[in-house]
Amino acid sequence: MDFGFTPEQEALRREVRDFIAEHLTAEIVEELEGLTEGFGVSRSVGRGPLVSRLFDEIAKRGWLGISYPKEYGGQDGDRITQYIVEEEFARVGIAVGLAGSGAPAILAAGTEEQKRAFIPKLISGEYSFALGFTEPQAGADLASLQCRAVRDGDDYVINGQKMYTSAAHTATHVYLMARTDTAVPKHQGISIFLVPMDTPGLTVRPLWTIQNEPRAPLGTTYGAYRTNETFFDDVRVPKTTLLGKENEGWGVGSMGLNLDRVGAARYLISVRRDEDIVNWVKTNRFDGYSPADDPAIRDKIAELWIEAQVCRLMTMRSMSIVEHGGHFTYEGAAEKIWAPEHGVRTSEAITQMLGPYGQLLNGSPYAVEKGIFAHNLMGAFQSGINHGSVQVMRDQVARRGLGLPSARRAGRPEAGR
Amino acid sequence: MKATCPVCGKAVDEAAARTKTGETAHGAQEVDPAKGTRQFHGGRWVYFDTLGCRTKFMARPDAYPSLGGA
Repeated sequence: MDFGFTPEQEALRREVRDFIAEHLTAEIVEELEGLTEGFGVSRSVGRGPLVSRLFDEIAKRGWLGISYPKEYGGQDGDRITQYIVEEEFARVGIAVGLAGSGAPAILAAGTEEQKRAFIPKLISGEYSFALGFTEPQAGADLASLQCRAVRDGDDYVINGQKMYTSAAHTATHVYLMARTDTAVPKHQGISIFLVPMDTPGLTVRPLWTIQNEPRAPLGTTYGAYRTNETFFDDVRVPKTTLLGKENEGWGVGSMGLNLDRVGAARYLISVRRDEDIVNWVKTNRFDGYSPADDPAIRDKIAELWIEAQVCRLMTMRSMSIVEHGGHFTYEGAAEKIWAPEHGVRTSEAITQMLGPYGQLLNGSPYAVEKGIFAHNLMGAFQSGINHGSVQVMRDQVARRGLGLPSARRAGRPEAGR
Repeated sequence: MKATCPVCGKAVDEAAARTKTGETAHGAQEVDPAKGTRQFHGGRWVYFDTLGCRTKFMARPDAYPSLGGA
């Protein structure tokens, strides 16, 4: 068993770091920060001229969609290589991976036509998805969703609403989960659709969050200032927008969500502040006092570093399972518990180290490191909720990892509504 | 058409809540979040004055039997 990287992989990491040092100029950072809301930026939202050129350079080096098949615009590479590239770019707030559950789900369950239509454009950034799963009354208990898709000839007609469709204002499509059968147990009557945003009857209503106002520096927070709710009023789509088989969407959606929980970007967002606080402690002195000499701070930072290494190893294990053709379920869930809760512990510890200054946001003359720790504190708790709450993830570990029975309500499973 | 928010009792203009005020980057219509919101409940749209009203409704839908309960 070897926990290290090969010399070739280490060389690739250096190459990526050198590329970033050479190409990520102050002008590009300024343009990136104007295009997004402090969150990591992908090519689909990075439409400024400098950012477009940067992504062209990244594409020339074969660093987009590395682990996807060449026939669909990828590089036929392995996930570890993709992880290394993603990790380095994620550190500076640029998403080069296919973050999101749409692309892996299409690759696994899509028709040949869907794979050819979507995956190359998702890799190039021409297409992007807003995740249309959560509803006002169906979040952690996602299978209770009420958005309906009714077959009408060669079409489906969709009515309902979705919450926290965060990218709906920039995306080209909604990756939508809707109920197609109300007469069966709730997990069995669900299907997935790939719905173009410009379909008549689709309406986006902005929701403004606590995060990133004022804007945090690029890539330093968990989420964006704006999210959305999305309404579907008699939205008519052809049956070719159905992903996988009708009523089998729960399995397709769960698989995609699992894969989306694993990867450099999601792991890194929970440990990046560890790296930042170590750098801050090493480089600051105050009237003869050095935080680096403070035993309490040294102990806490060492403890956080150990936890961060656990995050990274869990991510690497999940990727290794997938790379070797296996399927993971509880492993990804365990990671989705550990990393966000570590992020919360880190944020709280940093707040104690920095005192009141650590709570000042970007723009304050007294903010520490442009307020990244304060912005992080506001967002850290969100990470334990989105893309599967830590409570739901614990249930998955108990059932699938430890073989415990379902924590189902007494009586038979509910039928879909 | 005017609806009445079942929680606070204020009038909500259904048309205003649906009126296009802008467009997303890829062509979906956008609406003004200050004009109320709605929820698909029991097979029909129910209109609310604010998200706060809707949250209160969702916490206890059985308290509004005229809307079909939970």
